[in-house]
Amino acid sequence: MKVRWPKIRPKTIVIHVVAWGVALAWIIPFLGVLSTATRPATEVTFGWWQLDPYHPTLDNFIKALTQPTYSVSKGYLNSLIIAVPGTVIPLFVAALAGYGFSRFSFPMRHYIFLAIVLLMSVPAQMVAIPVFQIMVNLNLVDSQLALILLHTAWGLPWIILFMRNFFTALPLEVEEAARVDGASDFRIFFRIVLPMAIPAFASAGILQFMWVWNDFFFALILIFSPEKMPATLLVPKLAASQLITDWGLLSAGSILVLLVPLALYVVLQQYYIRGMIGWTIKG
Amino acid sequence: MGETGAVDRRGLRSLTALGKGRGGFRLAGLFGPRLRKGTLRTVFFAPALLLIVFLVVYPVLQTVYLSFISVTGAPTLGNYQDVLSDPETINPHLSWPPPLGTLLHNALWVAIHLPISLLFGLWLALILREVKGAWIVKSAIFLGMVTPMIVGGVILRFLFETGPGIVPSFFQALGIRSLGVSWLNYRETALLGLIFGSVWLWTGFSLIIYSAGLTTIPKDYFEAAKIDGTPPFRMFFRITLPLLKPMTLVIITMTLLWELKIFDIVYSAVGATGGTRGSVDVLSLQMFNYFVASKYNLAAAVATLLTLLTLVATAFLFRRMVKP
Amino acid sequence: MSSGAADYVPARTSGRLIAIVVALLIITNVVTAVGVYYASVPPKAGETITVIGPWAGSEMAKFLPVLDAFTNSTGIKVSYSIARQEDLKTILPVQFAAQRAPGDVIFMVSSFIKDQGPKGNVLDLTSVVDKTGYSAGALDPVTGTDGKIYGAVYTGKVKPGFWFRPSFFAAHSLSKPTNWTEFTNLLAQIKSIPGIVNPIVSGDGVGWPLSDVTEHFIATYGGASMHRNLTAGTQKWNGTAVHDLFASKIVPLLAAGDFSQPLTWDSTAINGWWNNQYALYFMGSWITGMTPPVDSADLDVFSLPTVSGVTPGVVFAADYFFIPKYTAKVDAAKQLLRFLASKDGQTVQVKQGGHLATVLGVATSAYPAVDAKVAQTLTGKEVLSDLDDTKGEPFQSNFWSQLKGLWTSPDPAGDLNSILDSIQSKA
Repeated sequence: MKVRWPKIRPKTIVIHVVAWGVALAWIIPFLGVLSTATRPATEVTFGWWQLDPYHPTLDNFIKALTQPTYSVSKGYLNSLIIAVPGTVIPLFVAALAGYGFSRFSFPMRHYIFLAIVLLMSVPAQMVAIPVFQIMVNLNLVDSQLALILLHTAWGLPWIILFMRNFFTALPLEVEEAARVDGASDFRIFFRIVLPMAIPAFASAGILQFMWVWNDFFFALILIFSPEKMPATLLVPKLAASQLITDWGLLSAGSILVLLVPLALYVVLQQYYIRGMIGWTIKG
Repeated sequence: MGETGAVDRRGLRSLTALGKGRGGFRLAGLFGPRLRKGTLRTVFFAPALLLIVFLVVYPVLQTVYLSFISVTGAPTLGNYQDVLSDPETINPHLSWPPPLGTLLHNALWVAIHLPISLLFGLWLALILREVKGAWIVKSAIFLGMVTPMIVGGVILRFLFETGPGIVPSFFQALGIRSLGVSWLNYRETALLGLIFGSVWLWTGFSLIIYSAGLTTIPKDYFEAAKIDGTPPFRMFFRITLPLLKPMTLVIITMTLLWELKIFDIVYSAVGATGGTRGSVDVLSLQMFNYFVASKYNLAAAVATLLTLLTLVATAFLFRRMVKP
Repeated sequence: MSSGAADYVPARTSGRLIAIVVALLIITNVVTAVGVYYASVPPKAGETITVIGPWAGSEMAKFLPVLDAFTNSTGIKVSYSIARQEDLKTILPVQFAAQRAPGDVIFMVSSFIKDQGPKGNVLDLTSVVDKTGYSAGALDPVTGTDGKIYGAVYTGKVKPGFWFRPSFFAAHSLSKPTNWTEFTNLLAQIKSIPGIVNPIVSGDGVGWPLSDVTEHFIATYGGASMHRNLTAGTQKWNGTAVHDLFASKIVPLLAAGDFSQPLTWDSTAINGWWNNQYALYFMGSWITGMTPPVDSADLDVFSLPTVSGVTPGVVFAADYFFIPKYTAKVDAAKQLLRFLASKDGQTVQVKQGGHLATVLGVATSAYPAVDAKVAQTLTGKEVLSDLDDTKGEPFQSNFWSQLKGLWTSPDPAGDLNSILDSIQSKA
């Protein structure tokens, strides 16, 4: 059996070196943060790449997790309390609406749909003031529930678009068959269409979860009490003192906040990517 | 099987089969089912519409309304006048270095960040087709997209800070003392530093989209072109680029939106004041500061202006995306 | 090219399983939401009140003994929360608008307290605090135009001048300057020492270090009167007198590289200074508590040399605190407020070092030795309150931002006019 070595052309080597070089350069800032987080703050005063005194320690992480006012562990809990319902609810609600836009025809369907999609381009700042006042009136200000509701409503336009495109791509035969058999819309939706939509749920779900977890502005407007703050809101507070910036603490806190979206991305990468490119390759 | 609408004998049997004794649909005459169907169908839309109307549509309209009235409630264009004539928005002494005004800062952000991240992502996507273990490289570059932007701002601040940060020390070592300082403290470098930093964070987006897009181009196109003897450059411009147009459109729109709305990075990197003499002030930060100062009408005006910009920017894409 | 169609998994008989999963998710979310609703009810008021202050790390460690002393004598537990005053500037107005407050006793800039008092967000303390027990004028920054006292005054810190290490001075035969020429000579001498980056290190933090050193120049060469006029707004920043002061004293030093670039006060600035990369550090008296790396045995300070004919001032920055109207535990909060404002409370604080009492009657023996050096620099000077703290927003943030612009400008002389104009525009 002849073994043929691939012809290694100089061009290939150059490309590989360049590509990996870029990857390395891209990672460097993260390496810096990681290094600062795992060493005592005084060691990195003159640069985290100085390896002269090098004492790896988890102290910064422990400090970040147990900080008296702005502990990251409380932040995690709050972020979860906000992000999980803030993902599941809009997914479900948007699937209903998206299916409706896809399958049902009624007057003005196209215009209503267009209006909803237009809302996607509205910046968060546009709704900040009235939403704040609404939440004050409902006595929901400074509560996680306020954020859950807001994120749900905010996520609906794009998830509806996503779901509607997805459903439009599904072949009609299965549903038609069921309809001929006389099944109601709900039955068709719940028993037949929803199970088929699981991959769409995964893609839209992970995108929405990341968006809610990473949100800062809405939380800034609506949440004040430290014990209700989601993790992202805590990050600037970890540079807490009037006088001192503790880079070790700040880095450790940042890494902790970054870990969850990162872990999700690693595990559900395929769905995440498919969700993103769902924009372009429209079904 | 299969004419829609008609219910025949077979249908009746399957009706009961599907109905499972829960009543199902009975032959209640032509009007019954259709009417019930219509009203029941609104249930599909009800929760979504309720939430959207109360927490999105109404607030948007309310903000627009706020922007057109004064503090006392009288209708006025004064808010817009104030905002647009404020040196914070557009600095009358237009000269480098910043502050140039929030409008111009956002514009500059777009002008620099959009082409660089787009082209860089495209170039990387093209190269990485031939690299082993490309997924590692892609993941490394995409890391920035996964990061919460508030953490991104902290990382950028850390990157550009004299002492712990690598960029000033790098330039100090090269002997360029003017760049060996904390970039975010100096008007000349603060805005540019953040813009380039945001390129570092966001290039992964265009990389991933272009990567996926490239895989969808059927190989046959290239085979055919190669057989015809087309040089690679021509292939790129005549085949690849046009086929990547939907991706390009999406990348441009999303990036544009992101840059117009930028807030988290600036807030965590330089704080609520927008940097030294306002050299990194951006529209959304300006709006936030008005909000905190309880100047709701001015804040609403800025927000509405911002929305107008984003609407214009995204008009093209959405027409494409929504075509049924 | 429909990835959507290619992606879907044909329905299998696991439909029921999926229905169960979905139901479970919905139920858990509902339960979470309900739980959250109940959890967001404020905790039962046991006797614990919350104090919010800007100090963290070693500064916080000096404040806690005072709170412990309070708890020991009254049995009321106190929990301490950290919040920077620049954050509170944005947080508190929004919270007050929602009729809430993050704590029961809050330390905040005096101008903020004075501003919020008439708005009804702050408790009226006229019957709680007795003006005569304090040094003259101590409560003026928190007394409203209606005559009501809206805040109480805690200990304060002085900003005496430039701190240095006597060991460093001795090693290089340097001495404290007695006039301006000696001062500039000193700077030139220091600049020539190998290892020195800049003679004076500029802390930055959020901006107050630059404003502190600027105020020192104003108070010394413009005099206490100029400082007071600028605080009151009766003198202009872009007027001739102030402009000339900047142009003749501060700008030349900046142009000559006598000041370092603004450094964030993480360990960079203070470690750099302690490691003799910089010789002089303008700081407040709290620096004596910044151990490590500071060793108070190797610490001394000198003020800018005065000129005859100008009565200098020194900034004494007291910490002010208030009780928000929206607190649930008014009585306990008032008790803590009284304690912190009293001789007993302030004596405990002063013993920790780096603080000066505002209440009258605290024994000099309560102060640590190094604070005596600080006291020496105060002779012959009038007491001033911190300029930007008293003026508050929108002046303060802009002031800090403009000063940073002056410090980082490649041509400070050229930019001076526009900077002074900007400062005046929000004065």
